[in-house]
Amino acid sequence: MTYTARVGIAVLVAVVAVGLTSPLGAWQAALEVSPDIAGQGPSPAHWLGTDHLGRDVFARLQLAAGAFAGPGLLACAVALVLAVPLAAVTAYRGGVVGSATRFGFTSLAAIPRFVLVLLVLSIYGDSSVTLALVAGVSYVPMLGEAVFERIERLRGEEYVLASQAHGLSGARILWVHLVWAACGRLIGRHLLALFGFYLVLETTLSYIGGFGVQEPTPSWGNMLVFEWGRRSVFDPALLAPGLALWLTLAATGWAAEALGEVEHG
Amino acid sequence: MADSLQLSALKIEAGSQTLVTGVDLQLARGEICALVGPSGSGKSLTARAMLGLVEIAPGVTRGTLEVMIDGTIHSPEMTGDSRARRKAFAKVRGAVIGYLPQDAMSALDPLRTVGRQVALTARRAGRDQGPTHWLNLAGLQPSVANRYPHELSGGMAQRVTIAQALARGSHFLLADEPTTGLDPAIRRPLLDELRRVADEGVGVLWITHDLRAITGIANRVLVMSEGQIVESTTPDQLAGGEVESSAARRLIEATRRIAAGRLG
Repeated sequence: MTYTARVGIAVLVAVVAVGLTSPLGAWQAALEVSPDIAGQGPSPAHWLGTDHLGRDVFARLQLAAGAFAGPGLLACAVALVLAVPLAAVTAYRGGVVGSATRFGFTSLAAIPRFVLVLLVLSIYGDSSVTLALVAGVSYVPMLGEAVFERIERLRGEEYVLASQAHGLSGARILWVHLVWAACGRLIGRHLLALFGFYLVLETTLSYIGGFGVQEPTPSWGNMLVFEWGRRSVFDPALLAPGLALWLTLAATGWAAEALGEVEHG
Repeated sequence: MADSLQLSALKIEAGSQTLVTGVDLQLARGEICALVGPSGSGKSLTARAMLGLVEIAPGVTRGTLEVMIDGTIHSPEMTGDSRARRKAFAKVRGAVIGYLPQDAMSALDPLRTVGRQVALTARRAGRDQGPTHWLNLAGLQPSVANRYPHELSGGMAQRVTIAQALARGSHFLLADEPTTGLDPAIRRPLLDELRRVADEGVGVLWITHDLRAITGIANRVLVMSEGQIVESTTPDQLAGGEVESSAARRLIEATRRIAAGRLG
């Protein structure tokens, strides 16, 4: 594994761990309004200073990771469960059902995801769970199409035929040889991309306002918009959420390196 | 009655074309029957039909296959629709009739270590011994278990497929040109391995081009041409050129030309 991939994985694990655990500890410091210390720079008491309501920026930064960590994982689980079994089974069996499924994936992949998300949020209400579900579902065609294409290409391979001749059941060949061995890394890369998509989606929605995580609950998006214009762009209160966003997104790309295709020969 | 495999009146059609017709074939446990013939004569297709793996369209394969094992007759329906055929052959494949592929390298999953692949086959057969046991029986070092197929030579890869066949414990084995494309120096040990497998009670149908290798390995020889079995003979008769069919004569002539260094 490359160093880049290790760094990427370490950053992602740290961000997700903070995101999942920070609501237990950072909650109070992140939400407590103290006008007398508003807009301060970094100090030993407040490592990244305070925002213009006097809330601790570092605590808010941590709590904001919770805005996407849990829901992002939920979105990945939804896409995984809905796309992979359907794509794998229909691609392996082929025939009319296979062609229809592929047609469905290709057609649905054409729907603009951002518009779909906004539409669903305005109908079913704006909550993290709804956002996670719709983000996961909107990614199903992409993941399904990728898995379908690969399994359709490999199902006629000599080793699949040989496995059949050894008496392995279709389910076992599909799971062991085709899904796990041949698509595992592909699926992993897609899930990282989906996690990144969810982060961008949540940040964008809460930056624009009206959707996504709302004040006073912090997200990296609403932290940026909240301090924007009130201080220099190099101030930690603005710089920190921006950098955290960039670092986490970059980390999804770095981590994907660990899931590159194995080159033989 | 002794364990045996009986294929009768096999016919395979693709559209208006008849690929294989009227093929009858018996195989007893412990013998190696060589199936020779020019490319495209239907040898591999016959073997695949015996595993229910010819799926051009439903109804194109006709004939009967009966395998007698310990008094039980397995007779998978060859003609039925693909779902019924799949079910029937699922019981026969591997457990009763095994398969040794032509190109071992492409018959192994490139993304799994060979140890895991052999273990998978052994587990399917309900056997406890680990992969190194079977690799060892096929003449490979235990360390091979941790390698991926691309890290093996052609001969080693073919030995891995033999290990898979041994782990599967099939009563009959269809070996589809298992030594084609291999160095002559490793061909002989592999064929000796095949002979040893047969001596332990496995009936082997050995599809081959290599007429010179047949003596000392095969018990009898079937010659196939244009989708039909045209002659049944013995290795000695074949080696002595005492054959009746023109297909067999052409094969012998071609083999002699190659041996004399006059190709074509």
